Parts: sequence; structure tokens; C-alpha cells
Amino acid sequence: MKKKSIFRGIWAVAIAIFLAGCAGMMSRPTEKNFKDPVITLKHVEVHKYWGWWYFSAKVTPSKGKAGNYGAPLALAFIFKINNPNKFAIMMEEMKFTVGFDEFDLDTVILQESVWVPAKKTTELRAISVFDGRSALLSLMMTGGYRLKEKEWSSWHALETFWIGIPDFSFPVHVRQGTAVFSADKIVRGVPFSATFE
Amino acid sequence: MNFLIPKSKLSSFLITLLLVIGFSSVTGTAAIRIGSLVDVTGGTSDVGRDYAFGIGEAIHYINDKGGINGKKVKLYQFDYGYRIPEALAKYKLLKRLKVVAVLGWESNDTNALSSIISQDKIPYLSAFHAAHLTNPGKNPFNLFAATDYSTNARAAITAWFDKNWSKHPDFGKRKPRFVASYEFGHLYCSAPIRAIKDQARILGFEIGPDQHVDLSAIDNKMQVLAMKDFKTDLVWHGNTTLSVSATLRDAYALELGANHIVNSWGFDENLPRLAGKAAEGVIGVTTNAFFGDDVPMMDTVVEFAKKYSSGVPIEKRLIWSIRAWANVLALWEAMKRADKAGDLTGPGILKKGFETFNGHDIGLRVPPLNYTATDHRIAGKVTIYEIKDAKFQVLEVVDLKNRWPDKWAKEWLGW
Repeated sequence: MKKKSIFRGIWAVAIAIFLAGCAGMMSRPTEKNFKDPVITLKHVEVHKYWGWWYFSAKVTPSKGKAGNYGAPLALAFIFKINNPNKFAIMMEEMKFTVGFDEFDLDTVILQESVWVPAKKTTELRAISVFDGRSALLSLMMTGGYRLKEKEWSSWHALETFWIGIPDFSFPVHVRQGTAVFSADKIVRGVPFSATFE
Repeated sequence: MNFLIPKSKLSSFLITLLLVIGFSSVTGTAAIRIGSLVDVTGGTSDVGRDYAFGIGEAIHYINDKGGINGKKVKLYQFDYGYRIPEALAKYKLLKRLKVVAVLGWESNDTNALSSIISQDKIPYLSAFHAAHLTNPGKNPFNLFAATDYSTNARAAITAWFDKNWSKHPDFGKRKPRFVASYEFGHLYCSAPIRAIKDQARILGFEIGPDQHVDLSAIDNKMQVLAMKDFKTDLVWHGNTTLSVSATLRDAYALELGANHIVNSWGFDENLPRLAGKAAEGVIGVTTNAFFGDDVPMMDTVVEFAKKYSSGVPIEKRLIWSIRAWANVLALWEAMKRADKAGDLTGPGILKKGFETFNGHDIGLRVPPLNYTATDHRIAGKVTIYEIKDAKFQVLEVVDLKNRWPDKWAKEWLGW
């Protein structure tokens, strides 16, 4: 009797597993049925802020080595990722460029996996960190002609951005964004962009 | 409920099979880890971004093609903002993550980490192609899938001498005059200067005073006037695209009347866009094809760019992603060979991977790759281009190795 009960239980579990597998097959992702997820920018926050300052290598710091140091700035980009599919999808990677006005100052590259359940929306916080020195070099090395057209110096640009960011007094752009999603063997790169002002 | 009770061996077998199917999962082998240090925020971010994207796309490709003999590659890519302390910190992180190789970036990180990666015996493939890194006696674990700056500079001045000077009205009557324009003291800009001046002497040039041009400078009229005083026939530009374009524009405006040759990081798709008419006839070096050129593997590069960086308009992609692909494809081949030899370690990737290459062709107009235990210069042939109607055309393929075999073999390695 005991043996029969055990067999009965194992058999029931096996059938249940088999049926669950069949149910999964009914909403399997294919190239045809895979709908692109939708990525929207909910808002941008000043994540951490040190105000605006810059010290050249000529200044002796109270501690540590002298060098060219500019105030860091950390921004948080809060995205909503909507999965319109009947199956869960995984975001394998996400990247986007952060632009202040017309100047690109950072590219955020996220490589952690984020699952989005079927028909659900996930929120994601992506942090962008850069500093006055790297921004200065980036502006000088790439923005020379555009700064000249605006009749701005690099310093004027940096002060405008660092002092203005708590009020978002200039547009903050998410440019050239791509998020890569997968479900089973289907892989899809989805572009996105946004402006926060 | 009698149907639930297995009554025979067949029933037992079916239950077992269903259980196995239900509970089985693919036990994948652990991924092989590769590190990548890039600059997407600092002074080289404009080119670094395209390069970083190229690395990511190329890694997706090699995983699609089976990774390392069936084992997936996991990429850990970090921005270091062109700050040396951060490059060191991120390298330590990569070590903790147990990467077997690192795809580095430019002069800052490559130079700062050179002795450390030699000690740690981790292959480091950089986009910094200085000649001193091609001497395995000094930098055994620094590699790149490109001809080095000094080889390129020698080839560029030789191509101008062959193709332009020979048609000059003063050819045979006097020495051609040469000036180098670059940021003094910058590792990339100054790397090939000794070699190009040596080549200038070999070819019989008269060499004028070097002109310092800041990498960020957009007004270089004083330097151009100094070149005019010397009546230079040829200017070497060792900087990157922004300041090179500015010097070309000033040279055009001031009617310098000289020809121009440009190093690899100043010669990209943006140069004719920024310099306009001043770019016409400019000669330059690249170590691989331009983005979208009709060469083997380019269709794949474009396909993966569209798929994995779909937010970047394809017309904005640059030659730097091709440079990234070259390093990734070379590393991939080296790792496959080392893995097959049962030695997927840093020294294994070097000795049983790279140093077994004998004309390995990765396409993308990268010269077939050769690395030996005594020489990490991949090739002696360099393709030199000229800008004509805002398009890049091949001017000459200069074969330094065959043209100066003794010097190539005995004198030029490492500088």
C-alpha cells in the first residue's frame, strides 16, 4: 500500500511538471511575436552634489597629492521599462549618453541583468558620475568649435552646468540609448532617447 | 486513480523520463572573463565611446560564434575617465573578477599599467600603438592588432616622398622640407617623432623646427606662420582630429602651400567634416578600414552595430569601432588557440595564442597578424590613404620590411 502511494505521488508530480512545460510552450517568444519593450525616462535627480569648484595642480591641498580636480556630480536617471509581451524578458545591457545642452559629458553603460515580468513595468535607477576636470577636458577636446559658436569658454560652460543643475536650468538629454533584451534565443536591441527639463 | 499507478517497467521508465525533463536544467560551463577599460567621460571620450561600443558589439559576435571553443565570454567593461588613479583601481577590480585578459585604451592606462600587467602576466590589448610596446623583451604582455605609430609614420612620409615629391618641380634640385606639428610631452603625440625624423633623414629631407600644438587648440596661426617661414613642403600632424582640423584650416587660410600627413588618431571620418576644403589632398594612416568600407567582415560589424547599439545612428559610427573589433578578434583567436592547447592563462594566451600567429587574417583591412617571441610588430606593410573629394582613397601600400629589411630587423624594433 505504501509503495502504491509513493508511486501515485511521483506520477502526479511528473504529470504536473509535464503539463506546466506544455503551458510554457504556448507563450514562447519568437521573432514574430516579440514586441519591443518601451523605455521611458521618468525623471532625473541630482543624486549627489558637491557644488562647483576647481583646483589646479598649482594649489597645494590640505591632504593628498596636488592635481587638477573639479567638483564631481552624480545624476540618477530613473527609467520605466515596460514589457508588452506575454513572457518575461531580460534586459542584458543598457547604455546611453548624457548630454547637457548640446554637449555630451558621460556615457552610462550598465551590464547587469534585469528581468521584466510579462505585461509588467520595471523601474531602473541608472547613475551617471563625472567631474569638473573630465568635463573640462571633454569640452576642450571635442567641443571647441561649438563653444566658439556660442561664444562660451569651457569655464563658462562648466559653471553654467554645475551651478544650474539643481534647478535643471538647461535641458538634460538622454541620447543614443540602446537597451538589449533577450527572451529564450531572441535578442533585440531597442533604441531610446529622452530630454528632461 | 488507477491510471496514476505505474503497473509496468514501461510506466516506471516514462515517469523517470518526465522527472528528468521537468527537473533538468542546462548546467552551463562558467564564462571566461575579459576586462575592458574605456574612456567615455574624459578627454578622449569622443573617440572612446565609439571604441567602447565596438568592443561590446564584437564580444556579442564572438559569443554568437561559440565563444572560446564553446565557452561564453563575459565582458566587464568600465569607464575610467582617462584618470590614471581610476585606471589602477579598475584594474584591481578586474583582477578580483579574475579576468584572463584586458582590452585597454590609450596612453594613460596602458603606460600606467604596463609594468603591473607584465608582473601579473595578463595580456593587455590597447588602442595605444606606441612602438616601445612592440618589444617583447621590455613589454611582453602589451599587444595590439595594428601597425605601430612609428611604423605608420615612416610609411606615411615614405608614401608622400614616393607619390608627391617625385612630381614636385623641385624634385632632384633640392631637399624636401619637413616639419612636425604635435603636442610636445603628450605620449601619443610624441611617440613616433624620433622615428619619423629618422625616416626623413633616410629619405634626404631637411628638417625644420617642431611646432607645438595643443590637443585642444582651434587657433594655430602662429604655428602655421612659423612653418611658412621655413617654407615647409610637408607637415606631420601628430594630434587628434580637432586640433589637426584646426591647423589644416589655418594652413589653408594662410596659404601655407604644403602637403600634410596625419597620424592614425587624427585621421577619421570627422576630419573632412571639420576641415572642409582644407582636408583635400591630406594624407594619413589608419590601421584598419573605415566604418562601412567594402571589406571582409564589415557586413558583420555593421549588423552588430545596428543590433546592439541601435540608438546610435549608423552614419555616426566611426573608424574607432573597427579598431576595437580588430583587438577583440585577435584576442579571440589567441584565446581559442591557447584553450585548445589546454592553457587558457595569461602566459598561455601569449605563447600558445598570439605568438603562434603567422599571417592570421581577421579581415577589416587589418594587415595579417604576426607575433613572434622577439617581435610584436604585426606587419611591415602599411596602407596610406589620401582624402579626395571628402572621401578616403588608398594612396600607397608601403612595405617597410621589404624595402629596408636590415633596418627593420636590426634597428627599428621598439622605437
